[in-house]
Amino acid sequence: MSRTVSRPAIIGALLKKEFKAYSRDTVYLLLTLLVLIAVPIVFRALPDSVDETITLAVSPPVSVLVEEGKDALRDLGATEEQLAELDEADLTGEQEGLLLLEFEDEEEMTGVIEGTVEAWQTEGGEFVFRDKEADEDKPDDAERVNVDIGIAFPAGFISDVATGEDDITVTVYSDAGVPEEIKGAMRSFVREAAYQLAGKELPVDLPAEESIVLGQDRSGDQVTLQEKTRPLLLFMILLMETFSMASLVSTEVLQRTVTAVLVTPAKVGDFLAAKTIFGTALSLSQALIMLALIGGMTAENWSLLLVVLLMGAIMFTGVAMFVGSAGKDFMGQLFYALLFTIPLLIPTFSIMFPGSVAPWVRIIPTYPIIDVLVQSTVYGATWSDSWGSLAYAAVWLVVLYGAGLIALKRKVESL
Amino acid sequence: MTEVTTGSGAAIQVEGLRYSYGDLEAVKGIDFEVQPGQILGFLGPNGAGKSTTIKMLTGQLTPKAGVARVLGIDVATDNPELQARIGVCFEEKNLYINMSARENLEFFASLYGIKDADAEGVLRRVGLADRAKDRVKTFSKGMRQRMMISRAFINKPDVLFLDEPTDGLDPVTSAAIRRTIREEAERGAAVLLTTHDMFEADELSDRVAFINEGEIVALDSAENLKLKYGTRSVKVRLRDGDGVREEILPLDGDGSSSRLAELAASPDLMTIHTEEATLEQIFIQLTGRGLEG
Repeated sequence: MSRTVSRPAIIGALLKKEFKAYSRDTVYLLLTLLVLIAVPIVFRALPDSVDETITLAVSPPVSVLVEEGKDALRDLGATEEQLAELDEADLTGEQEGLLLLEFEDEEEMTGVIEGTVEAWQTEGGEFVFRDKEADEDKPDDAERVNVDIGIAFPAGFISDVATGEDDITVTVYSDAGVPEEIKGAMRSFVREAAYQLAGKELPVDLPAEESIVLGQDRSGDQVTLQEKTRPLLLFMILLMETFSMASLVSTEVLQRTVTAVLVTPAKVGDFLAAKTIFGTALSLSQALIMLALIGGMTAENWSLLLVVLLMGAIMFTGVAMFVGSAGKDFMGQLFYALLFTIPLLIPTFSIMFPGSVAPWVRIIPTYPIIDVLVQSTVYGATWSDSWGSLAYAAVWLVVLYGAGLIALKRKVESL
Repeated sequence: MTEVTTGSGAAIQVEGLRYSYGDLEAVKGIDFEVQPGQILGFLGPNGAGKSTTIKMLTGQLTPKAGVARVLGIDVATDNPELQARIGVCFEEKNLYINMSARENLEFFASLYGIKDADAEGVLRRVGLADRAKDRVKTFSKGMRQRMMISRAFINKPDVLFLDEPTDGLDPVTSAAIRRTIREEAERGAAVLLTTHDMFEADELSDRVAFINEGEIVALDSAENLKLKYGTRSVKVRLRDGDGVREEILPLDGDGSSSRLAELAASPDLMTIHTEEATLEQIFIQLTGRGLEG
């Protein structure tokens, strides 16, 4: 009796077994379900808009400063016309995107910046302050206002500036987390205000300014935390499945069930093909489920997203094969999994902190995958924008998947 | 059963088979044959080369030298038909423990292209039908071993390779497994059985091969080996005052018959037992070492 069985039938049988083995691995199955449920909930809870308003605290209130300055200037002989100009002086640079908080008391202002006093803005636009240490009640129907920087003007600031006093000190208070660039900008703002009050021109000829935004102008439409997080979550799903796939591979190797498979008509190639198909399908399907739950796929980017996620899924399947064949036990597998996945995670920081990526990060195999995910889901990149990254990702895909394939092949043949 | 295509009619035919792991020569040019329906017991201590031989014959290792044909197919060639017609029971219990007994058998049956595998029937043969739906991880060591045997039978193989099939099992389970192996041989399957259990080899095997340090040092039926290498004798036990006295008489020696007749007529005679050498004694005699080692 001659018995023959086709390769697709063998691979199909192996895939069916892979699915059973995966569905019986309660740890990874529960983890997967938990991630698929919890992550979209967390995602929805993230801010879906960016507050572009800069909040600036001043002490004393601008009106107090101006009235005080008027009185002093009137005593110095200033005409009413000149005093009217003071009213027109744009001390605060009041414009869209700037929220001014005025304090009678400098100490109260520093308390707000320091965080010991909370500032709340009511629906009517009024500010209410709450002393946290006194355990005062939170105001109703009000939004918390974060104040990170404030300017304390000395008494007689306007008159002193106008009369050319030399020893004037304006104090800029800032929270410890405020970048030095913002502090510098505030110092420039104070100087410019002083020049304006003194009626002096800046001692330079200012060049004509033209502001051109390269790429998509996100002014008024900044990248939200949700948008930043979306590609990160998709990538994390791909990465997470590396662990479960590596576990499936190492279990098969350590328990030597693969040896039993290979004395049947199944060949090493069938085994590797089944692992590749299952690992890729597992990662890709979960990434697509996540994408459906958290959004991000559009009529313009769906094909690009599908391809880049597929490439990522194959790449991580290769990593899983490598990790699964390297570990001699659970701890060994965990060690190798972390050894490989932590470096592959590094490019994800480029999502959270754009512009802070060191050039060497671009060499990491997962960088082009992350890059295409970010560019397509956040900035609307299309195929024509992504060819370079896709080609680079393809090279790494061949290297990582090839390494995984060879490592696992050698391992099963040596059992 | 499939008709064997080798000239000699052997299901397994091995000539000058060699294998080495680096500098260590594990199998040093062995020759043997197994006919359909015959059980050949490979008897030897751990590390003698038994498992390596099975690995070569099942395609897990490629021989370094020599020729081995199973069902007329050279094992060094990558021939899927060979794999389709053999059954292997490994020494390690490499079952899918998160799958049920039936799922394990159905999965392996599907690899052989068997669509409606009689998993229940096979499990019934090894006394596991009532546990068919239970996951293998809940099975005892003996039950797992019976699963291993049943898996080797799922494709109704023409040749069975059984590596230490009863190692470490209780006598009842061992007896059940031996009975099943014998049934397979009666069906017509050629069986190559490795063991270091002399009783198992003696009870099951049509022929026994003593393998030591990669070489077959003796190959014949257990009966012939005992006749060839053992000493025929009788042990006579006699009452001796308040105690018991034993006397061993070689059956082949001069004068033994008259002495035996004399003792048989003695009023102090208690028992007379025939004594024959065990396979282990013969193995020690031939190799200078025991089977447990």
